[in-house]
Amino acid sequence: MKYILMMNGTKAHFSEYAKWSKKDMEANVAFMRAFSKQLKDEGVYVATEGLGWPDQAKLVRADKDGTPITDGVFPESKEFLAGYWIVDVESPEQAYKIAARASAAPGPGGASSNVPIEVRQVLGSHSDLGL
Amino acid sequence: MKYILLMSGTKAGVDTYVAWSKKDIDAHMTVLKCLNKELTESGEFVGTEGLARPDQAIVVRGQKAGMPITDGIFPEAKEFLLGYWIVDVKTRERAYEIASRISIAPGPGGVPTNMPIEVRQIVSLSAKS
Repeated sequence: MKYILMMNGTKAHFSEYAKWSKKDMEANVAFMRAFSKQLKDEGVYVATEGLGWPDQAKLVRADKDGTPITDGVFPESKEFLAGYWIVDVESPEQAYKIAARASAAPGPGGASSNVPIEVRQVLGSHSDLGL
Repeated sequence: MKYILLMSGTKAGVDTYVAWSKKDIDAHMTVLKCLNKELTESGEFVGTEGLARPDQAIVVRGQKAGMPITDGIFPEAKEFLLGYWIVDVKTRERAYEIASRISIAPGPGGVPTNMPIEVRQIVSLSAKS
């Protein structure tokens, strides 16, 4: 079963993160790199990506003639995806354990950042929605 | 440049979607499948995934001992990721064009869903540091 582990945050969270000291940020990135490597070694790694900052995010719809209409106005409370991991595991509990490890990534001063990680199953096919 | 196109919705939005007729859902999926094929042929397709229903979503934090604390309570207004596409394109505008194609995929009665698609650039860890 494939699960996606997502790290989300508001713009305010991203602004806080941007203020971390260089040392704290490096420790966090080093943890993330080591974490991906561990997941590979454990044979559960499928993919990971990090996303650009929310201030570059756009919402896109189509005009009547199909031309894209872009908008970059989001509510303050909007949670932006910061990044994700996809893992292939035997059970949801195994996915939760991996998510807990991601949540323990070091924050300022090396303390656990304790960020919430949203865990969702990835569908094998659309029919898995049970429609 | 890689971009991720995110389709999100509230629980209420997902409930509406699953109540669509089979014909409407099939028509919707056919258009999205054609788009995937087109992007594969143009060499812009990187990946796509659909996520399970929001009512199965869990939030996890790590306890001191590293054991997971799980919670499935979300605000009503929470926008859940429903699925995404990753495309590798020459310009940001091309990513917007592809997103608008997804937005005009047909909904009930063949009327475009007009769903907003969030477009974000993908950055590697090394680029961020």
